Amino acid sequence: MECSELTALVVGDLTGETNEEARERLSRHLSSCAQCREEKTRIESAWRLLGQDADAPVTSDFRRASLALIEDEMIRRRVRSFRPRPRWAIPLAYAAGLAVAAAGGAFVARQAGKTPAPAGTATAAANEQTSTTALPNLESGARLANVSYSAPDAQGRIGVSFDMESRRTVVGKPGDPELAKLLAYLVSRSTQTSGERSQAIEQVSSTYASRTVPASPEIVRALTSTLKRDPNPGVRKKAADALAAFPATPEIRAAFLEALSADRNPAVRLVAVEALAAAAKESPDPRTIESLREKAVDPAENGFVRAKAASALKGMEF
Amino acid sequence: MNNPGVGQPTDRTLLERIRRGDTSGAAELFERYAPALLRFTDRLLSDRGTAEEVTQEVFVKVISRAHQYDGRAEVSSWLFAIAANACRDRKRRDRRATIVPLEAVPEPAQKGEGVESAIGDRERRDAVRRALSALSEEQREALVLARYHGLPYAEIAEVLGISVGAVKTRIFRAVEALKIRFSEGEASWNAAN
Repeated sequence: MECSELTALVVGDLTGETNEEARERLSRHLSSCAQCREEKTRIESAWRLLGQDADAPVTSDFRRASLALIEDEMIRRRVRSFRPRPRWAIPLAYAAGLAVAAAGGAFVARQAGKTPAPAGTATAAANEQTSTTALPNLESGARLANVSYSAPDAQGRIGVSFDMESRRTVVGKPGDPELAKLLAYLVSRSTQTSGERSQAIEQVSSTYASRTVPASPEIVRALTSTLKRDPNPGVRKKAADALAAFPATPEIRAAFLEALSADRNPAVRLVAVEALAAAAKESPDPRTIESLREKAVDPAENGFVRAKAASALKGMEF
Repeated sequence: MNNPGVGQPTDRTLLERIRRGDTSGAAELFERYAPALLRFTDRLLSDRGTAEEVTQEVFVKVISRAHQYDGRAEVSSWLFAIAANACRDRKRRDRRATIVPLEAVPEPAQKGEGVESAIGDRERRDAVRRALSALSEEQREALVLARYHGLPYAEIAEVLGISVGAVKTRIFRAVEALKIRFSEGEASWNAAN
């Protein structure tokens, strides 16, 4: 046996992959090579030291949140398999609606002895009608199932479709209070699944993060409440990311300060540090700086969060 | 890897129940594998909170992909493969964010008489965690599966989608790197042991 084979053979022995013949070769070599004996001790010591790393325990909070998530996902999949909704169904429904409206318009015009309105006018009228689809009464806290969002149309309107007794679609511009109310509802209602809340937050982010239209106070309230109270860390992180893209109002800053001191998830705290650091650069306030300072020196804090807080403070001028 | 007790459903039975939409099958699979998968993701990601999120993602993926399991590999290998991919995806995503590597984070100043006496369990654990973080992603995956999960090389190869020879090479290189890293603090660790 060559000395260069030592590590592979010793590791093979430690992992139970070495056969009897190789073990004997190793043993013969070690009896005559002091350097390899020393080396073997170092390898075994490194292997043993790895055992000092403690296993991550499954906490009761993690178990509870995971089982809830699993249940949500199973329900979602059952709903999907019972009610498949082909991608072309909604556009087809729109097209059918427009055709009916156009035909009706032409019929009425003919009856009145007038020239039918051009097709474009009918489309616009129909679109106008779609945009005013009434928001259902949300006071009862009803669950809105199978939520889907459509990309902004030429006029910047987005559509939110959902099942509530029947399939409904609310279409509106980002500044439309009805649309904002619906989005805020979808972000914060516990009757919606974690996946649905996440999806709603993503929609809010893509709609309002550009700052061309500010998010309504209702949406900001829904996001801050989600950041503070949502049981799912992934959803809280998404809410934090969304809020970080908004102008830092006192309400948003307070939510981040609370998340930094109380959120159990370091990824959420990391976003809070970044958002607070950005806010403090624009307008420094003592409470934010003090919180960042505490985090930067807290030995119990996660290393990433600690380092991020320290580097944020370095970039500030006091 | 996880042998169900007598009268307990096998892993494949649980997957079949998930395919049929049985929530209790998914919950049972979670109870059976969450501890191992959380340990795995925690060591690959070096962050408990992120590891919990990724472990949850793994189970959500298992539910949505249960019908794709073709039975060629063990269910446990399939789960670890999903977890390894989920960890890689998460790291790729997080790389865009400005994350400081753990080894770059300054350690809190040592208090007390000397370094040796100050090296306690926590410091040793942190040192091990930093050493693991310093390995390449590929080396860490293979080493963690071998050292902490006791998987044979053939199963590691299946999980990572590589040859047994590549598994040996990755573990060999990981151990070589750790040996050098640990030997710097060997005297104090041995003294502490």
